[in-house]
Amino acid sequence: MLLADRMSFFEIMRQIYQGFGVTAMVTLLGILYAIPFALLAGVLQHFSTGFYRGVITAVIEFWRSSPVIVLLYAFYYALPAFGIYLSAIAVGAMVLGLNIGRYGSQSVRAALQALNRGQCEAGLALGLSRFDVLRFVELPQAIAAMIPTFINQAIQLIKGTSLVSLITLTDMTLRAKEIAETRYDPVGIYSGLLLAYLIICYPVTIWGRHLERSLGKGRRPHEF
Amino acid sequence: MNFDCAFAVRIVPLVLQGVGNTILVTILSFVGATVFGFVWEMLRRSHPLMHPATQFIIDAIRSTPLLVQIYFLFFVLPCYGVTLPALFVGVFGLSFYFSGYLSEVFKAGIDAVPAGQGEAAQSLGLSRRDTVVFVIAPQMLRNIAAPLGAYSISILKSTPLLAVIAVPEMQGSAFDVASDTYRYAEPMFVTEILFLILALIAVAFVTGLERRLGLSTPSH
Repeated sequence: MLLADRMSFFEIMRQIYQGFGVTAMVTLLGILYAIPFALLAGVLQHFSTGFYRGVITAVIEFWRSSPVIVLLYAFYYALPAFGIYLSAIAVGAMVLGLNIGRYGSQSVRAALQALNRGQCEAGLALGLSRFDVLRFVELPQAIAAMIPTFINQAIQLIKGTSLVSLITLTDMTLRAKEIAETRYDPVGIYSGLLLAYLIICYPVTIWGRHLERSLGKGRRPHEF
Repeated sequence: MNFDCAFAVRIVPLVLQGVGNTILVTILSFVGATVFGFVWEMLRRSHPLMHPATQFIIDAIRSTPLLVQIYFLFFVLPCYGVTLPALFVGVFGLSFYFSGYLSEVFKAGIDAVPAGQGEAAQSLGLSRRDTVVFVIAPQMLRNIAAPLGAYSISILKSTPLLAVIAVPEMQGSAFDVASDTYRYAEPMFVTEILFLILALIAVAFVTGLERRLGLSTPSH
């Protein structure tokens, strides 16, 4: 009864999507790391000078120059040796989030630099403090200009979560690998896995490009 | 388990055994991704009917994770009788994944050449081929140099993923050390530092190359 042993494609997809919870959780937690880091690092890099700018740039450069998968392994395996014990989901969300956040920080900085100086001067002339100018005048405009970039980076984050399967988290990718261990059907299982990600990310890709076009000034992100 | 610095230093040469393959895979994948990316872009421009089809392929490539694409190639190709060494599967996977992004680079690079350039060449009597080769392409090259450089670094940073299909590059060497010694902290930490250094060298190299070729400042 070999045929009865094979799962239908629908059944494969259903079992792969059992890992959707972990994929979604890592994505959401990652966004919680990415957005504050992007805003903070971008704003600090924009305003700081001299030594402090060097420190901020070094932190951003560290996250930018390390491969995300190597960071994931390094944090997962090496932190316990320094007495820091974090769960796999905490490590995964932090590494993926900060890695994406560093791309975001560059768009924040670029968007702030692209703003007309008159915006800031007008705010100051109206008696707002420098911080209020940043909060109420500069950042709202910068963030509006960055939304297409953020969406592109969100796609990178969703795709990046497939890496947490390598640090033992049962996301969609690891679910597929588990199914592949019990059933010999690589074509069905791995096509299903590709399709599972495509169903999630393709609409976001299309939406992102639509926004980019309508805003007409989305910067193309350089990918992980 | 404590972090053993002496052990970490001792395993540096072992992890570095994979560096040759890391660089080889990066270069081959960069060439492959550039070729595929250019082909996608030419297909997209070839015929109005080809545009939506090619666009869908490019978007699909960009909407699925690299890891999943590599698993797909590695486990599915043998079912159709295609058995390649892991290194070639890895190079093919990286080339394919990044071609989706590079096609957009070519698109932007070609779009940024002013339309008048092509029209002027045509009115001077240049053939279509000469127009492309001698007028459009050199200006496109200037537009795409910086993003191509950035993507070459991205490709370098994606090579450690190939450890999952047992390509013997740096991350793979680190896992070999780890499984020989039962110590994971030091090899993973050393790999991170070595990749950081490698990436910084690569960035300096790419920036230097762009400057030497006079490509670092766009003409307009």
